[in-house]
Amino acid sequence: MNLVGHLECFVAVAEELHFGHAAERLGMAQPPLSQRIQRLERELGIRLFDRSSRHVELTPPGRLLLEEARDILARVDRIYSLAARARLGAVGTVRAGLPAGLGGPVLAALIEGFREHCPDLRLELRELGSAEQGRALTEGALDVGVLRHPCDVRDLELGPMLLQPVGAVLPAGSPHGARAALHPADLAGREVVLFPREDAPGAHDELLAACRRHGLDPSAVHEARHPQFALGLVLAGTAVALTPRTEDAEGAVWRPFAGDPLALRTSCAWPRGRRDPVLERAVEHFTSIATGVLRRHAGMVPLDRSTARRVVARPSSGFLA
Amino acid sequence: MSGIEERIERAFRDAGVVGCLAAIDLDDGRLVGVRADRPVVIASVLKVPLLVALHRQAAAGIVDLSEQVVLRPGERTTGPTGVAVLQDEVRMSLRDLAAMMITVSDNAAADTLFARVGVETVNAVLAELGLHRTHIPGCCRELFDTLLADAGVDGMDELWAVLDEPGLMARLRALDPARTARSTPEEIAQLFAAIWRDEAAPAAECARMRRLFGLQVWPHRLASGFPFDDVQVSGKTGTLPTIRNEAGVVEYPDGGRYAVAVFTRSLSTASVLPRADAVIGTTARMAVEHLRAPGG
Repeated sequence: MNLVGHLECFVAVAEELHFGHAAERLGMAQPPLSQRIQRLERELGIRLFDRSSRHVELTPPGRLLLEEARDILARVDRIYSLAARARLGAVGTVRAGLPAGLGGPVLAALIEGFREHCPDLRLELRELGSAEQGRALTEGALDVGVLRHPCDVRDLELGPMLLQPVGAVLPAGSPHGARAALHPADLAGREVVLFPREDAPGAHDELLAACRRHGLDPSAVHEARHPQFALGLVLAGTAVALTPRTEDAEGAVWRPFAGDPLALRTSCAWPRGRRDPVLERAVEHFTSIATGVLRRHAGMVPLDRSTARRVVARPSSGFLA
Repeated sequence: MSGIEERIERAFRDAGVVGCLAAIDLDDGRLVGVRADRPVVIASVLKVPLLVALHRQAAAGIVDLSEQVVLRPGERTTGPTGVAVLQDEVRMSLRDLAAMMITVSDNAAADTLFARVGVETVNAVLAELGLHRTHIPGCCRELFDTLLADAGVDGMDELWAVLDEPGLMARLRALDPARTARSTPEEIAQLFAAIWRDEAAPAAECARMRRLFGLQVWPHRLASGFPFDDVQVSGKTGTLPTIRNEAGVVEYPDGGRYAVAVFTRSLSTASVLPRADAVIGTTARMAVEHLRAPGG
């Protein structure tokens, strides 16, 4: 029998005194939880809970075992924590996720900054979409990430929120390319190319909604993970690329939109909850270095809270409608 | 062709939501489910168990549905619809309050009925119906109180303004199925099945409840998936920031009846997201058509 797993169930039920609540806390269904408690009771040869009434209560032997069980679980946590430290100490690796298309200079500055502040640790960077990073963070396959919002952040802690204006890449010779700044409506009816929806569905949808809000209802939306693919479509005259500021390439120019009506929201994120202190420090360092680098090298600015979001309540989307 | 669950999953993803769905054929009990046993925030769908509890009390002679009550402005629970938006004193029978609660999701009406029926009674009824994973911790006002307390704001309109602040959504108990009114898609579909099979209360009471669900006004969610003149869609919505739900029953002229419960959570915190509303109807239709397919 997996005694640790069964003790975890026992402690959860003992603390909640409610099978349904304990099952939710453990992220499992109620019937398997009840089965596990019964199996543990058989294994130990005692009844742990009194379930005679509608209420769940600890039996005297159950109360006796609760402290011991908690102690065992705390020690098991410690094993994991020591292992994490050993991994960091021996391998010295912090695993971080980054969205595609941040650009070489950003990556280089990030790695350099991290090397300077955490010379003992190696930074392992992976290019991943926000949805995938969110999953990897909650599953423990990543230590820290840089996410495009909105995305599912229920089990994550977030660093400072940054805003990155989005502009358009146009053929250098086009009339719009000659202007210092554009309005989205200037591109009304054009085909656009932007990052794949699969990478960050929330940010993708929000960016397109903002385009339409400001008069740019694209006749087609192409997805490009690699800037060169987007550039190809621009140079061929097929589409305009919507992207944060990029270096002008041969034959193409990046132009901002006046007043920055289109922007991406970005922040660092890491799993919520207890973790090893060494890893904790490393994540803190990464977050402050990445936030600084994204501001200096990727044109991101702290999200201005002085302009409060305006929501006109409609009955159909009101609270408890 | 890929599996029905996979296609429903893709529709949810394309609409920018995480969705959970259960659809039950009322006559043979077959189920189509996508995460149908996952705990979900039910929001205003909590008014369904309250309605059932009220009608069971009426059948038992504990309450008289024609009894008139007075709802005074200033004492009423707030909300976007119904008596909750009126300015003057309202005098109404319990059954008319129930009609307001179901047809337009009136929070003032719901809390008046909660005060009459008692939240413990509602939970006891759920337990009697075997819906052990459905739990209602309190009335609408209590849910609002947790929202304001958790967000540290004084009014619901202020809440929208701070909703995007990092970490705020995660702090809201009202959006955490472990700490607010909760159920699973399968249990809510079972609850509707029980109302349609005259098992949730005596037959006459079930018929009264069915009438109210058929009078619900909202066209944008479940009903939007069934744009057919001869198909009746009855249901109850549930809405909170990022949460869009509807559960109900779809009835075809050939006698086919399907209890459907769809619960979604959007990535975006936008208040208006027509695609997220519509995918509730789209996925419900996909599930129902799968159940209706010959040999399905």
